[in-house]
Amino acid sequence: MKRDIIVIGGGAGGLAAAIAAKEENKDVLLIEREDRLGGILNQCIHNGFGLEVFKEEYTGPEYAEKFIEKARHLKIDYLLNTTVISLTKEEDEFILYTSSLAEGIQKYTSKAVIMTTGCYERTRGSIVIPGDRPKGVITAGSAQRYLNIDGYMVGKKVFILGSGDIGLIMARRMHLEGASVLGVAELMPYSNGLTRNIVQCLNDFDIPLYLSHTVTEVVADEKHRLTQITIQQVNERFEPIQGTEKKFDVDTLLLSIGLIPDVTLLDNLPVETDPLTKSVKINQACETSVPGLFIAGNSLQVHDLADNVSKESERAGHHAADYIDMKRTKEKGIPVQAGDHILYVTPQYIDFSWGNAEIICSFRSRKKIEKAALNVTQNGKTLIRKRLNFVVPAEMETFELNIEDIDGIGDIRVDLEVLS
Amino acid sequence: MYDFVIIGAGVIGTNIARELSRYQTKAIVLEKENDVANVQSLANSAIIHAGHNPEPGSLKARLNIWGNELYDELEKELDIPLLRSGAYVVAHNESEEKQLEHYLQISLQNKVPGAKIISAEEARITEPNLALSITKVLTLPTTKVTYPWEVAFACMENAMKNGVEFRKNALVTKLEQKDDHYLVTINNKDRIETKNIINATGVATDDIAALLDSSVEFKITPRKGEYFVLDKHMKGFVNHVLYPLPTEAGKGVLLTPQVHGEILVGPNSVFVEDKYRTDVSFEGLAYVKANAGLLAEGVPFHKIIRSFAGIRSTSNYHDFYIQESKEHKGFFHLGGIESPGLSAAPAIAKYLLSDVIGIDSLYPKNETFDPFRKKQPEFHSLSLAEKQHLIEAYPTYGNIICKCEQITEKEIVDAIHAPLGSHTIKGIKKRTRAGAGLCQGGYCEEKVMKLIARETGVSPLSIAYDSDDSSLFEEETKVEE
Repeated sequence: MKRDIIVIGGGAGGLAAAIAAKEENKDVLLIEREDRLGGILNQCIHNGFGLEVFKEEYTGPEYAEKFIEKARHLKIDYLLNTTVISLTKEEDEFILYTSSLAEGIQKYTSKAVIMTTGCYERTRGSIVIPGDRPKGVITAGSAQRYLNIDGYMVGKKVFILGSGDIGLIMARRMHLEGASVLGVAELMPYSNGLTRNIVQCLNDFDIPLYLSHTVTEVVADEKHRLTQITIQQVNERFEPIQGTEKKFDVDTLLLSIGLIPDVTLLDNLPVETDPLTKSVKINQACETSVPGLFIAGNSLQVHDLADNVSKESERAGHHAADYIDMKRTKEKGIPVQAGDHILYVTPQYIDFSWGNAEIICSFRSRKKIEKAALNVTQNGKTLIRKRLNFVVPAEMETFELNIEDIDGIGDIRVDLEVLS
Repeated sequence: MYDFVIIGAGVIGTNIARELSRYQTKAIVLEKENDVANVQSLANSAIIHAGHNPEPGSLKARLNIWGNELYDELEKELDIPLLRSGAYVVAHNESEEKQLEHYLQISLQNKVPGAKIISAEEARITEPNLALSITKVLTLPTTKVTYPWEVAFACMENAMKNGVEFRKNALVTKLEQKDDHYLVTINNKDRIETKNIINATGVATDDIAALLDSSVEFKITPRKGEYFVLDKHMKGFVNHVLYPLPTEAGKGVLLTPQVHGEILVGPNSVFVEDKYRTDVSFEGLAYVKANAGLLAEGVPFHKIIRSFAGIRSTSNYHDFYIQESKEHKGFFHLGGIESPGLSAAPAIAKYLLSDVIGIDSLYPKNETFDPFRKKQPEFHSLSLAEKQHLIEAYPTYGNIICKCEQITEKEIVDAIHAPLGSHTIKGIKKRTRAGAGLCQGGYCEEKVMKLIARETGVSPLSIAYDSDDSSLFEEETKVEE
């Protein structure tokens, strides 16, 4: 039986997308590989979720439960413990093969697909940490899962490399569980996490944050267990400065050095990739270069807040429903270019065939700017100019474009101007 | 009383064990690590070289060429993975082209099949990313790539099937000569008796030799090599092993396509004091990056998933040292087995037994020797129909545990319970590739841990990453009062 829409991944993104599509009376199937819905929210037992969406503060599992209840109420079909092992498209039909213990290999087809597969953590391999490769060096998210879901502490003397939000959250979490958390080192001269997390997770517990520092040596004992790390201050070119070495005796080094969208399922589809987001390019409807293939949440771009994942994915769900309802001739669209001091911008195209879709753009800056002006221009014409105070890469910024302001030809440029 | 104690379960020790199992002997392999192939055999270039640089007439040259041929047989009998990539040695200018000519002559003297020099244009037909500065290449069609630990697993499993014993976590701490036999002390407590000892301990060969011999003819001066691994999505970036011209320090920084599509970049070559420290350095990895650029245009360094270092057991003897001790009859050393050690391994085993030990005149053939060993199916490499077929027979093939590599519950459970099974995260990774992909175990390590706990009936608290002392967890938090 051909479905209208299949949503891959039942976390914060997939739940919101499936709900939005179902509310428009589409036949939706949600596929989740874990044994429960909610995704990474299940291991985020701290609060801070829901302020944007519900104007109320929840823990991760509570926030997930709000969506799961709604999905149940709407009688959305979903599969658990089921992994999508291939995704292809023939003519107008998407073909998915899944694998599971209960059902073996199954084939599903649909008119549209929404990818909400989240992201994975950068590992030690993706950066160079000199020294041994012992047991005890682990990503912050893995440690979080071991502690919050399984009930095991990976170590008692902890140092954290990278000030991403998961690292900050885990600094507090390990401290509260009785570990001594000796510090957090951040390569950049500013934190990569939300300010509220710096305050609530580090400052409140006197955990030092070493900005412009990195780990320059990892030492293990003869049994390949981590025993000591060295951190050093770095210069503007990120090279370690001699004489600034500090040593810490630790049994655990948590890594919170970034997240990467997980889009490996798209390997066999002709999607256009974006080296800036490390995901794929979309238009304002969250549609990729493959008609009917939508993507949202952390598999599109890594968000700071789960609330924003939900909101973006909800839009993707509406647009996918709209795609089912309305024949349109997809255009490549007007490119949106990341200009000065912009790390990336989404959507990467404005497609006039999606003229009814609101254009909500997200971007991150490349560096910390105290006083900046956002300039969005096309063909020398200013579409948006607004002042932004205290722009940092850690916090995603958004702006909205009006389709009536946009010319039918000519790239749109997004720049940040540094104001004195 | 054993006839043979083989010390060391790397590719050399396990190949010897398998060759020995063709004869009616009582033999045991002792390994100090918690798994076979855990030191040198785990971290090297994984190449079965064609033989373009060993000195003609040397043992290295002879055993390299012979070993390369024997791998075809090993593939058929033991089901080991082989990528028949072939290799290009590259030259950038006239002076390098002269050296290339020199290595062609060496290749011809060593009887390397199919070696010839071709133009860069011709090479680019199959290797489009070849560095633009390259002018000519020496093509070596018999170069192959494998996973060295798979070779060791296959040989050890087959040797065990044919009667050889295996003991891991068994560090040899003392060797004593009695009237007509030796006493081997393990971990300072257990003792076993044996008529012969085969010392295949890689970087430790001189140390183990010194437990009995008053003077040892070779000294190991270990060299460290650092590598990057590029994600398997880069498959096809290079199709051949790409070598620079060899130097005193070795074969240089290479680009090596792997069986499952990853690309290995490295190694450098640094003499080190400590034989067992395999740390990586900023300098070493920067050197590797800079030199890889001389082989191919635009090496995708943003696709690095891992960096590691390995140790080579270079010796001052300059050739393989495969000899009986001058002082102790029945004590055999395999010293200085650096590159092309992996390439030569099956030939080293045959050479040791026939030319050094003279096994045929000492022990009768094992008439029941079964040369075959079948690897468990790799789910991810099968067609949908084959996958479905397997799942019908064994439903746990349907449960994907490692999503990056599509490794299933059945494969992991098999790896836990196999005769040469493992109960560690690293051991399961070596056997199944669970955790070897893009997220490096970020997703599946927890699931593998739970499967090991379930299958062995132990608490997660005692599950180790590698050695028995490397348990994953310090304590449990959700304990019922």
